[in-house]
Amino acid sequence: MVALRFLRALSLVRCSGPGARSPSYRARGIRRAAYACMAASAGPRRAWSRALLRKIRRRPGRGLRRPRAVIRRRRPVGGGDPLEVALRRLVPGGGCMEYCRLLEEAADYVKCLAMQVRLMQTIVDSASHVNSID
Amino acid sequence: MENEAFWGSNWLSAIAKPPPAMSFASDDHLPPCALNLNWKQLLRHDVDLESELSSLVSSPSCHPAASADGGVVGGVIGRLGTICNSGEISVGSRLHSASSSCYSTPLNSPPKRNLSVPDYLVQGRRGFPGSVNPSPGGHFMPLPTDPWLAEDAARLSRGGGMSSSGFPGKLGLPETPGKLSRASSSKSLTGSRMVVPENGNEPWVLGAALMEMEMRSRVGGSLTPEQSEPGNGREESSIEEASSLRGTSDSNARKRKASAGKGKGKEGPLPYSATHPPNMTNENSVAKRCKTSETNAMMKTEQDGDIGRKPRKDDNKLLEPPKDYIHVRARRGQATDAHSLAERVRREKIGKRMKFLQDLVPGCNKVTGKAVMLDEIINYVQSLQRQVEFLSMKLSTLSPQLHNMENLFPKEMYQGQGTMPQPVYPAEMASAAYPYSHQPQASPPLQSIVTSGLESQLAPLYGLSDAPSQVGDFWEDDLQSVAQIGFRQH
Repeated sequence: MVALRFLRALSLVRCSGPGARSPSYRARGIRRAAYACMAASAGPRRAWSRALLRKIRRRPGRGLRRPRAVIRRRRPVGGGDPLEVALRRLVPGGGCMEYCRLLEEAADYVKCLAMQVRLMQTIVDSASHVNSID
Repeated sequence: MENEAFWGSNWLSAIAKPPPAMSFASDDHLPPCALNLNWKQLLRHDVDLESELSSLVSSPSCHPAASADGGVVGGVIGRLGTICNSGEISVGSRLHSASSSCYSTPLNSPPKRNLSVPDYLVQGRRGFPGSVNPSPGGHFMPLPTDPWLAEDAARLSRGGGMSSSGFPGKLGLPETPGKLSRASSSKSLTGSRMVVPENGNEPWVLGAALMEMEMRSRVGGSLTPEQSEPGNGREESSIEEASSLRGTSDSNARKRKASAGKGKGKEGPLPYSATHPPNMTNENSVAKRCKTSETNAMMKTEQDGDIGRKPRKDDNKLLEPPKDYIHVRARRGQATDAHSLAERVRREKIGKRMKFLQDLVPGCNKVTGKAVMLDEIINYVQSLQRQVEFLSMKLSTLSPQLHNMENLFPKEMYQGQGTMPQPVYPAEMASAAYPYSHQPQASPPLQSIVTSGLESQLAPLYGLSDAPSQVGDFWEDDLQSVAQIGFRQH
């Protein structure tokens, strides 16, 4: 699932990319597409995927914020443990969760991240392989 | 509640696993679910007694009161004793599962308690045969006056007594029935926390015996159902009465004695199960129960309790009946007030999640300790995010080369891609496989990517398949919009 989405998004990104943007722009676009694919394939059931998509969408659509009643801060972090705070910062949407929920989301996030990295690595390898062959 | 579901599922999954080989000496370190595992295994084999147990259990039918559960457990444990005698441990497991099914929260607490008991029981048992046989079968030793300790001791003594004296003529096996009975009685005790040893000779014995039974697991197969029957009846009554001790200890004691005097006979559904407020404190009930216990048993149990408690952590507190809302079984020798119970549940949850994370993060098996683990996890997440950045940069440079092949095959796949239900995947793969043939060189790696991605995603997406197709469409649209957003921006 992630692969399909990602490839589709990649093609979309690349359509505008070559010749129009600098590589860094494209890199950023690809990165956003990667995260978006990851979050979308993870599904709406995961808090981190929702938060990630929200974060990705928020940048362009600042003024068009929908009047949705989203309960953002259920329980503010009691931030005593520096490790816990760091983990909360790393995992998208980790600021509002309880600790055990945070661990659960972190596990799912790590799993999807690893899959995304593997996917991108394979794409890069295949691309470089094709390049080397040709 | 998420907790309950989590725990329940954990418990069930734990049950499904085969129990580890258990030795008496290592009881205290048995995983909480080990006991349940045994029960479940046993459960499969049992058929006949299950119906009895179900009838037993269904009457309280998940009564929120812990005492009800305990009563059920006790009753079941009584049956378990018979089961043990008959070698059908599955009843015990059934009992356990039935009783645990009544719990709305972590089910591994009962097993834990049971686990703690066997150790204690073992030690107690060993000492018992010589010392505790004063009250031969049919009569129950009164509970020691001490609160939980005495009760446990009495339980053990009863178990020993039961094992040694056994049900008259019923417990054919010298050792295993007693063990089984003790396990079952301990089980019932742990379940109810209120099992009065009085009548509970059998229930306790059964509970304890259950635990031992697990340990020995298929050792004594000659338990006869009849032997457990009377224990069941007595157990039920005793357990129910025990649970209702709160304000009616005397009457309960009287009733217990009366029921004890009844001899072997099954008692009906827990009479007091509906009347107990779940918040009875163990100490109260125990204290009341202890009044009638024998001193020698008490002393013995004290010793055993101490011995049994040594390996336990947080030893200095007594068990209390599970609370009203969250049915968590406190472990032996651990604090049982609501806060500590909730904390323990939470700690266990966190521990499980940490273990799961440990499996996910490579190279974390040797690491022990939450802080180091967390550090490793954080480093791993950071490295993954850095890798994503790096790969996206690489992809952006490689995009011209990839553009050609990628444009071709994803289109066919998009056609097959609709919502995200599971059955669509094979269709997608089938449709995607077709265009691959046109690109022998580039498609294999991409195909492998896609198929691996699909396969790898199948498992995590199982949750998604439950989601309605509209949700899938929603996410599809989101992805497209997001991709377009990224596309437009750059």
